[in-house]
Amino acid sequence: MGIISVENLDRLFWLGRYSERVYTSARLFADSFDRMIDVDMENYAAFCRQLDIPNIYSSREDFCDRYISDENDPNSIYSNLMRAYDNAIVLRNEIGSEPITYIQLSVYDMKKSKVSRAPLVGLQKVEDNILAFWGIVDDMIEDENIRNVIKIGKRIERLDLYGRLQMNRESIVREVHRLVGRIARTNLHYDEKNLEELKKLAEEEQIDYDRIVALVDTLRKD
Amino acid sequence: MQNIELTKRAETVNELLARYGVKFGIYKNNEFKEQLFPFDTIPRIIRKDEFAYLERGLKQRVMALNCFIRDIYGEKKIIRDKIVPEEFVYISSGYLAPCDGVLPPRGVYTHIAGIDLVQGRNDEWYVLEDNLRVPSGASYPMIAREICRRSSPVTFETYHVEDNRYYAKLLRRTMDYVNTGGHTVILTPGRYNAAYFEHSYFAEKTGAHLATGSELMVEDDYLYFVDYSGRREKVGAVYRRISDEYLDPMTFNEESVIGIPHIYDVYRKGHVALLNAPGNGVADDKGIYYFVPKMVRYYLGEEPILQNAPTYLPYYEEDMRYVLEHFDDLVLKDVAEAGGYGVVFADRMTARQKADFIALLKREPRRFIAQEVIDFKDIDIVENAKRVPRKADLRAFVLMADEPIVWKSGLTRFSRDPDSFIVNSSQGGGFKDTWVLSQ
Repeated sequence: MGIISVENLDRLFWLGRYSERVYTSARLFADSFDRMIDVDMENYAAFCRQLDIPNIYSSREDFCDRYISDENDPNSIYSNLMRAYDNAIVLRNEIGSEPITYIQLSVYDMKKSKVSRAPLVGLQKVEDNILAFWGIVDDMIEDENIRNVIKIGKRIERLDLYGRLQMNRESIVREVHRLVGRIARTNLHYDEKNLEELKKLAEEEQIDYDRIVALVDTLRKD
Repeated sequence: MQNIELTKRAETVNELLARYGVKFGIYKNNEFKEQLFPFDTIPRIIRKDEFAYLERGLKQRVMALNCFIRDIYGEKKIIRDKIVPEEFVYISSGYLAPCDGVLPPRGVYTHIAGIDLVQGRNDEWYVLEDNLRVPSGASYPMIAREICRRSSPVTFETYHVEDNRYYAKLLRRTMDYVNTGGHTVILTPGRYNAAYFEHSYFAEKTGAHLATGSELMVEDDYLYFVDYSGRREKVGAVYRRISDEYLDPMTFNEESVIGIPHIYDVYRKGHVALLNAPGNGVADDKGIYYFVPKMVRYYLGEEPILQNAPTYLPYYEEDMRYVLEHFDDLVLKDVAEAGGYGVVFADRMTARQKADFIALLKREPRRFIAQEVIDFKDIDIVENAKRVPRKADLRAFVLMADEPIVWKSGLTRFSRDPDSFIVNSSQGGGFKDTWVLSQ
């Protein structure tokens, strides 16, 4: 890795985490939104429980408005996107202008979806932009360690979310393998004991989701 | 050149500028906001021969200014020879006593100069201001050109325009010329600075490292960048985008939290180059501006090629008399202000305001300069699908390494308000590309 400060190493990691949080929460929201159209109007309560975020919403409409685009709701997709943006904007030197444009475009598309009665259309564009961002990270960033740090952020966030959502075993195992395979290739400090335990947990028939979330959250050492 | 194809592509151009986040920061009601910098696709066009004239004049001016700063912090001959009164130098807020006797690497002070010009209706160019501290703005026409070429290639097939995208190479060459050995760093106050986009864009385009003060440290009289593993890398040149007073809390403003303690000691010992040199503010003071043509004659033995806007110093009795007699025809500028602030047009004052201002002028004559209002040549912009004339200036960039080089482009800023002469982005102005024709 070229010279890079500890602050920016941290920002790369969090850029990975927040971009993943935006992507996965937008997809999860889409499922929940679909159910709330005509099947289960109160599905947002279960959604909040699953993601372990406070249910501060008064109705389906309130949830759909605020969870997508309320800048004052720290759990909203918009707030998470702005955190990704805040990290990306100071990493131009490390990742380049082109990857940043996809985060910037996500912000514009998110603002458009705010006023739409069909928010999934706008959110689809946000998801497309995030996918394009990850693609361009792979394609354009020459420095392997910079790529890896972003990806580790992404993997840790995904595993954290999948653990909270108690996703199927195959998904958890796949994400653990991806994380384990990559983390040793970065210069991040991480807890090797926790990583070993994570590997073992992924081999178990019964997934201990709470333990996985706890391990993932303490895996990276500052 | 009324039918430039590019002007039909304004929407595409502006979409791309938004995509690339071409923004500037602004504080409103103590809150930081990022705004897109409004861009107008009608370029300012400068003929080849006209630019050659400007180029000669700008080089001459920047060389004289560099000589002046070197002299002021060195032998002070220009004061001894009574060309510039010493009170104008020593009470200037830009004069920094710690810079006295300090010679920067290779004797260059004015590495990146931004000279603000306007063109009168008589086609004459006038210098309005010299910016020798941290002039900003070159990144905007640079990225705008990239996007305009993408949006309307046919325009650039049709017109022969000097490519302006070499600015990054020019800047890198300027930084390398004075580098004392080590990495090159662009020092930014951080994300919430008005020109942060430019700082990060230049770092990317020049291959320099973008750093904040907290990422740099001084040890044993050298400056280092500290990486994530604690490894230290020596720094040989710092293109600092923070003002003098915040650069080093140990030498300048002790309350600065964005500077680097002891960086000035490293510089003083010649172990790092600072671009631009600290203390340059003494030469871009609005009061000192009056003396620049005299500097050209004094240091270079030449007649100035570029002229100042007709300027009066109320400090001189004769000029004060003139200012009072022609008060309504003049624009008055507070020498301590920048960014379009502290500029008042006398004919727009109420009787009471005039009386108060004249009293202030008499009490603090050194604080103001007065200038004739230049009848700017308007430039068209597109507003609501119509071409309308607006006031505009040109910031030309001169980069000094072994010799001054004038960038074949510049930042054209315009006022969006039809009744205003103020073009600054912080006050709602927009920008245009500046074309220098190659044929």
